[in-house]
Amino acid sequence: MAQRVLVEALRQVVGEANVLNAPVHLQLYQYDAYLEERRPDAVVFVHSTEEVAAVIKVCHAQGVPFLPRGGGTNLSGGTIPFRGGVVIEMIRMNQLLEVDPVNLRARVQPGMFNLELGNALAPLGYQFLPDPASQKAATLGGNVAENSGGPHCFKYGVTTNHVVGLTVVLPDGEIAEFGGVAPDGPGYDLTGVFVGSEGTFGICTEVVVRIVRQPEGVKTMLAIYDSIDRGSETVSAIVAAGMVPATLEMMDQLVIQAVEQSIHCGLPLDCATVLIIEVDGLKDDLEAQSEAIVRLCMEHGAREVRVAKDEGERALLWAGRRGAFGAVARLSPSYLVCDGTVPRTALPAVLKKVAEVGERYDLKIPNVFHAGDGNLHPLILFDWRNAEQKERVMKAGMEILALCVDLGGTISGEHGVGLEKMDALRLVLSEADIRSQLRVKRAFDPKDLANPGKIFPAPLEVAGVS
Amino acid sequence: MSPDLASLQRRLVDLVGAHHVDAAPESTVPFAVDGRVPALTIRPGTQDEVASVVSACAAEGAALVPWGGGTAMGTGNPPERVDLVVRLDRLDRVVEFDPDNLCATVEAGLPLARLQKLAAGKKVLLPLDPPEGDRVTLGGLVAANLSGPRRLQHGTIRDWVLGLRVVLPDGERIHCGGRVIKNVTGYDMNKLFIRSFGTLGIVTEVTVKLLPMPAVQATVMGLFPELSAAASVVEEVLGSFLLPEALDLLDPGALDLLTPRLGTAGGFAVVAGFAGSREIVARQVRDLEAMISVRGGASRRFQEADSTETWDAVTNLFQALPQEPFRVLCTLAVPIGRTAGMMASVRAQAAAKGLWAAVSAHAGSGIVRVAFRPEDGCSGDGAVPGLTEALEVLRGEAAAVGGSLVIQEAPRRLKERVDAWGRPGSAFSTMRRIKAEFDPQRLCSPGRFLGGI
Repeated sequence: MAQRVLVEALRQVVGEANVLNAPVHLQLYQYDAYLEERRPDAVVFVHSTEEVAAVIKVCHAQGVPFLPRGGGTNLSGGTIPFRGGVVIEMIRMNQLLEVDPVNLRARVQPGMFNLELGNALAPLGYQFLPDPASQKAATLGGNVAENSGGPHCFKYGVTTNHVVGLTVVLPDGEIAEFGGVAPDGPGYDLTGVFVGSEGTFGICTEVVVRIVRQPEGVKTMLAIYDSIDRGSETVSAIVAAGMVPATLEMMDQLVIQAVEQSIHCGLPLDCATVLIIEVDGLKDDLEAQSEAIVRLCMEHGAREVRVAKDEGERALLWAGRRGAFGAVARLSPSYLVCDGTVPRTALPAVLKKVAEVGERYDLKIPNVFHAGDGNLHPLILFDWRNAEQKERVMKAGMEILALCVDLGGTISGEHGVGLEKMDALRLVLSEADIRSQLRVKRAFDPKDLANPGKIFPAPLEVAGVS
Repeated sequence: MSPDLASLQRRLVDLVGAHHVDAAPESTVPFAVDGRVPALTIRPGTQDEVASVVSACAAEGAALVPWGGGTAMGTGNPPERVDLVVRLDRLDRVVEFDPDNLCATVEAGLPLARLQKLAAGKKVLLPLDPPEGDRVTLGGLVAANLSGPRRLQHGTIRDWVLGLRVVLPDGERIHCGGRVIKNVTGYDMNKLFIRSFGTLGIVTEVTVKLLPMPAVQATVMGLFPELSAAASVVEEVLGSFLLPEALDLLDPGALDLLTPRLGTAGGFAVVAGFAGSREIVARQVRDLEAMISVRGGASRRFQEADSTETWDAVTNLFQALPQEPFRVLCTLAVPIGRTAGMMASVRAQAAAKGLWAAVSAHAGSGIVRVAFRPEDGCSGDGAVPGLTEALEVLRGEAAAVGGSLVIQEAPRRLKERVDAWGRPGSAFSTMRRIKAEFDPQRLCSPGRFLGGI
């Protein structure tokens, strides 16, 4: 009954063709790239800020939860409608509204894919720097909601460093402008607070991003090692030498083997790790920088270093890394992607401990990591049909997060807390920290309608715990 | 109900010792905020003491204002009330310096210059250069989001903070972020406290990223008789592959102020700072000098220590201005491409209202810094009405392109006529709710911020 009233009201504001409520359709919206499933009560296609506002007003009036959905690539369950309600499908709001090279800004709708924006800017000589590995299918709205990273974070930062303004529909359906093309707007930095809020503060319907000139030159290298420690040591040596490469990416042997089987990019199957290093900027010193890096790699025991001579070779060196998550799917029916971070110098220690966890739980854990910024992605392989194995996987995943925290890191670098890591939040945040975050949530969403049931674990029952 | 300050004072003495609580005028008058003299000043020595002090104030309903280096205390509207100024100068410890991981954790009262000195020993730095870097503290940088010319390449403190510890208005201590570069564990609470001007609590500890120190630095100044030529250099640089750290525009008023240190006089200047390897600095210096020369400008080149000295002079250009009869400092923030146009507007307003003005812009970032003074021979008070009008006109122009005008320093009688921040926009209802959630009693810097927050 309630669902019929809801669907009727939604049809009134966006038209019958833009509301889905048949079970077969709803089933398609009950999952994302994480492992849980929950069915929504309705799915609504929206085309404008006003439509989003109208839909949210319906939800607000009826006390129905809602959440936005973009590419559905979220790895932590952020797009799963945990308490049912309305999934607001943003994918048709995919226009590039304005490219403004004079002011070094672009205005985009949130349903545009990250890579589409890149492709639109490239012919003009500009780029948007955040480039999550899922960029072909991840939308900018999703990047904003999750504060996505990508391989270029070490030098260029994450999404929040490149988003300067947002148009937001608040959970009561009111429209607000946060930030904008001009810098330093007076008042609290709500743009900064909103980025990374995982859909729990409302829905952004326009994003103003910082764009920059493409670099004059890029040099890409791939170093091959027989020891993973030597690879990590090289990363530290490069940073200690005062260089700031655009990327420092590593993959371990299991990933290399999977990648090689699926993409055939010429990686040796018997090596322990490969390190992908890219330097960019003015062309005058790139040669010298890449020579210095090659030297450091060799000094630290690299078996071989390949330097891309042209764009084609560069693409080949990158193909393996970009295709890593996909290729790992060959190794097992399912995998859990961990997303811990540690201070960079703790990488060798954390990798050893991850391997120990794998042995202890009898699980295979290939590894892909952003070595420059200490963000590791152990991929715990399993078969979702095997319930006992899945339970072991969840325990192993939690242990890996705990050991990242022990080494001075945290439980999520770029994939978000979502449903996945709610129970790990207390590894990092105190009760006071959690209470303070909930104050912000209440300020945005007092009725708890925007993507409820995410990020925060249930309150502790025991009195006096802090 | 007004707080019982005598009882509060006794309580505070118990908490931090009599030596660090002061009610004597010589200790309170220098810490007046826009003319409001606090009843007490207090100097807690640890972060826990800050929490106890804030708790005690919350229990007593006393209003407090945190005070670091004091460099941004002129910014904002006069506070509604100030019972207590919490001085953070004793919180100046380095908690952890980790150059291998390019990060440092320090207490909020540590001056930026001391962090830089420590970092330089390991050939790293925090690449931010706000005015008065010797006085400004890390906590102040965070609370006011101060920046300088190098924000073009390096952004502001917002881009460098990894973690904060904060004492909330009820005295509860929280931790935001951490010490890793990528961190999406819960909300990005750092952003809430950066640029919150002490209205949501007191930042007591800051963890920042650091950067390897560049091998070489150099600065090129191009001098032109016309603004349009200097501005067209800026435009060409921004459209090129060049990656200057800083790109400022100076008007004749600003160049006059630099005369004692740099020997400049008259005209307009574009100043570009470059850092990095010898090859890329040399190439950029060469390219920029060519851009200047093709427009008929005169170039000056400053290397290494001279380069540092030049930027120090440019950044702190307004600090030498006499405060009598008064000076008004404000910042216009506009889309990058509007920077030079805004500089011209400021000059036109000054001329029309008979005011002296100096304008210095971070031209690649959309920031226009302005100093106004009454013309020589003018008593000062008479200049206020003209200045009020000029500020309103400029604020209107900035707002028309989505920008803002913020008053950094002004006499009280001007602040009574012109709001320091301007009119709040559609985001304000959320901001007000945040303030109400965190500080329902309105005890932390009440009234200083946007819209009376």
